[in-house]
Amino acid sequence: MKKINITYIIDDDPIFVFGLKKMLEHANFCNEFSVFNNGEDAIEALKPIIKTGVDFPELILLDLNMPIMDGWQFLDEFIKEKPTKKTLIYIISSSIDPVDIEKAKEYENVSSFVIKPITRDKIKYIAEEIHVLVDDNINK
Amino acid sequence: MDNTNSDFDRSTHLLNLIEESVQVGTWEVDIKTMDTTWSKATYEIHEVEENIKPSFDDAINYYKDPKSLQILTEAFTACIEEGKRFDLELELTTAKGNKKWVRAVGVSEFKFGKCIKVSGVFQDITEKTRTLQTIALREEELQKTFEYAGNGMAIVHLDGSWVKVNNQLCTMFGYSEEELLQKTFKDLTYHEDMESSNMLVNSLLNLEIENKQMEKRYVHKNGDIIWTLLNTSVIKNDDGTVRHLVSQISDITLMKKAEERISALHKVTKEQNDRLLNFAHIVSHNLRSHSGNLEMLLDLMKYEVPEATENSFFPLIGDAVNSLSETVSNLNEVAILNTQIHKELTEVSLHTIVEKAIGNVKGTILETHAVVNNEVAESLKLKTVPAYLDSIILNFLTNALKYKKETEAPIINLRANFSKDKEFIILDIRDNGMGIDLERHGKKLFGMYKTFHKHKDSRGLGLFITKNQIEAIGGHIEVKSKINVGTTFSLYLKHEKN
Repeated sequence: MKKINITYIIDDDPIFVFGLKKMLEHANFCNEFSVFNNGEDAIEALKPIIKTGVDFPELILLDLNMPIMDGWQFLDEFIKEKPTKKTLIYIISSSIDPVDIEKAKEYENVSSFVIKPITRDKIKYIAEEIHVLVDDNINK
Repeated sequence: MDNTNSDFDRSTHLLNLIEESVQVGTWEVDIKTMDTTWSKATYEIHEVEENIKPSFDDAINYYKDPKSLQILTEAFTACIEEGKRFDLELELTTAKGNKKWVRAVGVSEFKFGKCIKVSGVFQDITEKTRTLQTIALREEELQKTFEYAGNGMAIVHLDGSWVKVNNQLCTMFGYSEEELLQKTFKDLTYHEDMESSNMLVNSLLNLEIENKQMEKRYVHKNGDIIWTLLNTSVIKNDDGTVRHLVSQISDITLMKKAEERISALHKVTKEQNDRLLNFAHIVSHNLRSHSGNLEMLLDLMKYEVPEATENSFFPLIGDAVNSLSETVSNLNEVAILNTQIHKELTEVSLHTIVEKAIGNVKGTILETHAVVNNEVAESLKLKTVPAYLDSIILNFLTNALKYKKETEAPIINLRANFSKDKEFIILDIRDNGMGIDLERHGKKLFGMYKTFHKHKDSRGLGLFITKNQIEAIGGHIEVKSKINVGTTFSLYLKHEKN
C-alpha cells in the first residue's frame, strides 16, 4: 500500500480543517497537505502545477459551500485546465441535499461524496478506499 | 236569360270573388228606414249566418268596446249630417264572441240636401292590428330593457359615434346623455386598448364574426380607468350590410382590482415561502456544519486527550452535542421534505407496506404482548412515494405501541376503505391506548416539538414529520381520540388510478 504524497484540502472552515488534518495524520496516509480556503486559491495554485506536472496532488478533499469560488465552480475550472495526471477528488460537505449528491454524480472526476461530520472511523474507511483507488491508478 | 241579367250575375260573381280574396265586405244603410244590408264577406266577418238580416241596432251592438262604439257613432252621425266620409279602425265582438279589429269605411249619398244612404266597405284587419300591437309592445319592452338595463348599453354608428346610450352607460362613464352622444367610443377608450378595440370593430365590420367579447378599459369623465367586459354584436340591414353595432358594457373594475390584490398577495406569499424555505436550508446547513465540527472535535479529543473523558463535564458535553446533531438532522428532514415534492410515484400494495411496518416493530409487539391486525385488503394498490408511506405507517404503529395503557396489552387494527368520491384511500389505524385530549391538544397535535405524554422518548417530532410526508404525497390526516379509550388516525392517501 503506497502512501499518498500530496493531499489538497479545499475548505473555508478552519475548525474542520484542523480536525481533518489531525485525523489524516493519525491515519498516517499522506506525506504532505496543502490547505486552501476557497476554490480560487486552489485553482490558482494548481494552474502551474498542471502545466509542469510537478508536485501534482494525488487527492483533493473538496468542500462545496465556500466564499469566492465554491466547490462546483472549482470542479468546472479544474476540468477546463485539462489535467493530464489522475487525481482523486472527494467531496466532503455538510450538504445532505439530494440535489447536491445527484449533481456530484455527474462529474466523473469526483470519486465520492462524504457527508460531514468526519469521524476517525470514517477516515479509516476512506483511507482504505483511497489506497485501493491509488493502487489502481498506479497499476493502470 | 237576357244579357242584362247575365251581366249583373257576372259582376256579382266578380264582386264576391274580390270580397273573398281580399277579405273586404260591403254594407249599406238606408237612412229613411234604417234598413241594413251586408255583403257575404261582411256576414263572415261578423260571424253571423247569412240568412239572418241584421237591424241597424244589431249592427251597432257588435261594438262592445265603448271607445270603438263612441268613435263609430260620432263618425256615422257626422257622415249623415255633414256628409263627412269616415275611415275607422274599430274593435268588434263577433256573434260568436270573438274579438276582431275591423276597418270600416263609410260614405253618404244625399238627395235633395238630405242623406238617404250610407254605404261603405268593411275589412277584417285583426291580424295586421295584432301584429302591429305586438311589435309596439316588443318595441316598448326593448326600449325599457335598453333604458333600464343593469349593464351599459349602446348602439354605435359605423363611424364610432354613439347612436343611442342608456342610463347605466352614462352613469358608468360619468357623462350626461347629451355629452356622450357628441363623442365617439374612441374618445373614451383607454389608449392602451385602442388597438385591440379597433381590431375588434374591424373584424365585426368586415363580418368575419358577428359577436365578440373583450375586456376593455375606458376612461371616466374624471380620468379614472374603468375596466369593462365589452360584448359587441353586428346589426345587419336587409341586404346583409352592417347597419350598426350594439354593445353591452359591464363594469368589472371592482373585480379587476380584487384580482390584482389577490395576485399581489399571492406573489408576496410565494416570495415569503421561498425565503422561508431558503432560510430553513441555510439554517439547517449552517447548523449542520457547526454541530458536525463539535462531533468531530469530541471524537478527536477522546483519542488525543483521553484524560479529558474522565472529567465529569465530558459526557454532558457529549450528550448536548448529540442532541444538537439530532435536532439539526430533524430540521433537515423537514426542510428536505418540503422541497422534494416531485418524487417519483410508484405503485405499491398497501397491505404489503403495512405488513412491512408491523415486521419492523416485531420486537415491541412481543415485548408488550400487542395484537396488530392488518385488515387491509391485499388487492388494494396505490401510487405513492414508498419511502414516505413506510415511514408514515411505521410512525403511527410506533406511537400506538408506545402510548399504550399501563394495564392493557395494545390492540391495533389497520383497515382501509375508499372515500366517497374515490379520490382517497382512507387507512384507519385504531388503537386502545391512553388516548389524546383533543380539546386541549388538537390544534398543536401535528406541530413541531409538541408532546402530550410524559413518555421517556417523546420527541414530539414524529407526527410533525408524518403530517408533512402525508401532505407531500397529496393526502391528509384526521384524528379521533378519547382519553383511556384509544385513538384512531385516519390517513387520507391520494388514490391515483392512472
